[in-house]
Amino acid sequence: MPDILVLSAELAWPFAIALAWLAGEIIHRWINVPRISVYGLVGFAVAQAFPDLYVSDSSSPVTLLANVAFGLILFEFGYRINLHWLRINPWIALTGLAESAATFAVVYAISHAAGMPPLTCALLASLAMSTSPAGVLRVINEQNSSGQVTERVLHLVAINCVLAVFVFKVVVGVWVFRTSGSLAQAVSHSAIELLASAVMGAVLGVIVPAVLRQLGQVGREGSVAFALAVVSLVAIAHAANLSPVLATLTFGLMARHRRIVITRTERNFGAIGELLAVLLFVFAVTTLDWERVVSGASLALALLLARFVVKIGTVAVFAHPGGVSWRKGALTGVALAPMSVFVILLLEQTKYMGIVLVDELAALAAMTLFMEVLGPVITQYALVWAKEASSKDH
Amino acid sequence: MPLEPFTLSQPLTMGVELELQLVGNSDFDLSASSPDLLHLLARKPFPGNVTPEITESMIEINSDIHTNFAELSAQLRLSRDTLVQACEQLNIGICGGGTHPFQRWSERRIFAKPRFREVSALYGYLAKQFTIFGQHVHIGCGNGDDALFLLHALSRYVPHFIALSASSPFVQGNDTLFNSARLNSVFAFPMSGRAPFLLSWEEFEHGYFSKMEHTGVIKSMKDFYWDIRPKPEYGTIELRVCDTPLTVERAAALACYLQALCRYLLQRQEPMPAEDDYLVYNYNRFQACRFGLDGAIVHPKTYENLSLREDILTTLRKMAPHAEALGGTAALDHLTVVTHVGSDAQFLRDQYAASGSVEGVVDAAIRRFRD
Repeated sequence: MPDILVLSAELAWPFAIALAWLAGEIIHRWINVPRISVYGLVGFAVAQAFPDLYVSDSSSPVTLLANVAFGLILFEFGYRINLHWLRINPWIALTGLAESAATFAVVYAISHAAGMPPLTCALLASLAMSTSPAGVLRVINEQNSSGQVTERVLHLVAINCVLAVFVFKVVVGVWVFRTSGSLAQAVSHSAIELLASAVMGAVLGVIVPAVLRQLGQVGREGSVAFALAVVSLVAIAHAANLSPVLATLTFGLMARHRRIVITRTERNFGAIGELLAVLLFVFAVTTLDWERVVSGASLALALLLARFVVKIGTVAVFAHPGGVSWRKGALTGVALAPMSVFVILLLEQTKYMGIVLVDELAALAAMTLFMEVLGPVITQYALVWAKEASSKDH
Repeated sequence: MPLEPFTLSQPLTMGVELELQLVGNSDFDLSASSPDLLHLLARKPFPGNVTPEITESMIEINSDIHTNFAELSAQLRLSRDTLVQACEQLNIGICGGGTHPFQRWSERRIFAKPRFREVSALYGYLAKQFTIFGQHVHIGCGNGDDALFLLHALSRYVPHFIALSASSPFVQGNDTLFNSARLNSVFAFPMSGRAPFLLSWEEFEHGYFSKMEHTGVIKSMKDFYWDIRPKPEYGTIELRVCDTPLTVERAAALACYLQALCRYLLQRQEPMPAEDDYLVYNYNRFQACRFGLDGAIVHPKTYENLSLREDILTTLRKMAPHAEALGGTAALDHLTVVTHVGSDAQFLRDQYAASGSVEGVVDAAIRRFRD
């Protein structure tokens, strides 16, 4: 008879994913909560119930699959970003810069006041700048929304994520070089790393569409080619310690501007994309620990509230010159709430450096959990209030 | 509500309405953007008029009343530029074309306005399938009798306008083999087709409209989806068979062709229109929708078989003095070129061949609308 513990370890992930998917479908149909929120809740519950079964280090297959899943989402995300628009309407980029900077400042100030050391504050603040692209894109696709809130959220998320990755890397650089190096060294190191990631994505973004054009086939075959390219990018980025986030995002951006169109049926990369997304959102929360969540809860709530208010305020202020009503601006700010998957994968990636931030920052664990579950719900409501979600009654 | 009296308007004045598509710049699918676009446009005066349409991925622009090609096309270009600029600020693509090549009707969102909701509830999928984009041309008439005379005298020329404006070869992702597939969607409505053969306004009002109203089937002229219908409150007749062309210049040219034809017909040199003219009407209309300029039509009086392209060229030549008198020579020149190089439907098919995708077709339509 096979050892029951070995067996359960083998089955742990498939069961968790199946359970999360089923719960997601049931609860989504029942009270119309975004599916990904349910995946997060289920993931957290199973990880707390069987902590030994859901341990994953940064080289485990599950981590790699989660990264691929995230890569696919980021590719699709990058694909929806229109750089030409950022040139024509400079208010979008300005809004992104302002809301990111304001979020950084406020989170830094609050955590500093809470007695954290400056570098920890800076790390926390850099992560708080970002909005989860996965959360936002999944909700937008689930709601099939279109309109200014949808467009602006996508573009603002792209901006604040790129900024967050950059600032985060710089802070990590400073941390690593604190003993030997200088700030300049840290900045240049991070800049080179990011540049290399972006170049890698951009090169593939030129090559893949060119190959597809040669084949003379677009559509379903196109999606397979793009998915394979994303898998390779993630693998290379892992091997070379580059940023898979930036690489896949740039890949999507570049592919878009080379004008090869993914057909609509391939949104979310079809059924395989859906499957990987369940895994991603379950995986993300299994890295969190209940005790830390509890101990960091109060500071996390304060930080989240501040982040929420700052983002709404800043985006709303820039709304009118940017061409929309202040109401749509405020709702865009509201929709920027999700923050989690991005943060967790960024942190997982830095584990190899010996920096285990989730363990140090109880507040971060709590923030991620709250926002993984609540963030998508908030985004969904913002889209519904903006009347941009497709209503189901006709 | 009884039919309002026919307002007298300056004969041969014209106005144009264009229904335009709003699409996303990333996936080129229709995008429910009209509320945002209208919000932004409301900040500045708009040349002409802009209004929402039944689905949020459509808007309509109207020109003012004009008398010649230069004024009309200048205003339409100005409206176009204003729209394109506003759309760029909001990352929306805007284009002409009678259908969106691959939109799925089940995904359309109905604009929040009571009349649109009612229409949607009554017609079901037809209302959403009605996400099609047409050009309507109004021609001013001196009185109701003239309006009805023109309406029926023009029936013989309806295939010309279908073929020249045709820009809807693709529906739901496939080539329909039609040049104007859009009109097939209009046919589905119970009140579509041709107007009853009545030449006196008095008779139309009391002998037809009031009876129809009494049946409860219709409430106002708006409920008729005829190819040409009188519009008593404007004092015009309205030609509704044209697909929205890919450029505003073509829209202006089509209006001026209609204007010249009306001037010619009002001189009453042709045999009077008759009910029997309609024997070949649906057949000719089908030929124009299906084959465009390559269609073959039957002359309603002589039953002679004619190449539609030849018939258009002959008519364009015949209209030259009238267009000259109205300042519309450039318009007819434009349409003569169309008969040689092909319609917008042909252009869209070429784009499909070049890009290999229906998304590429929309992309090309967006760029064509700008220049």
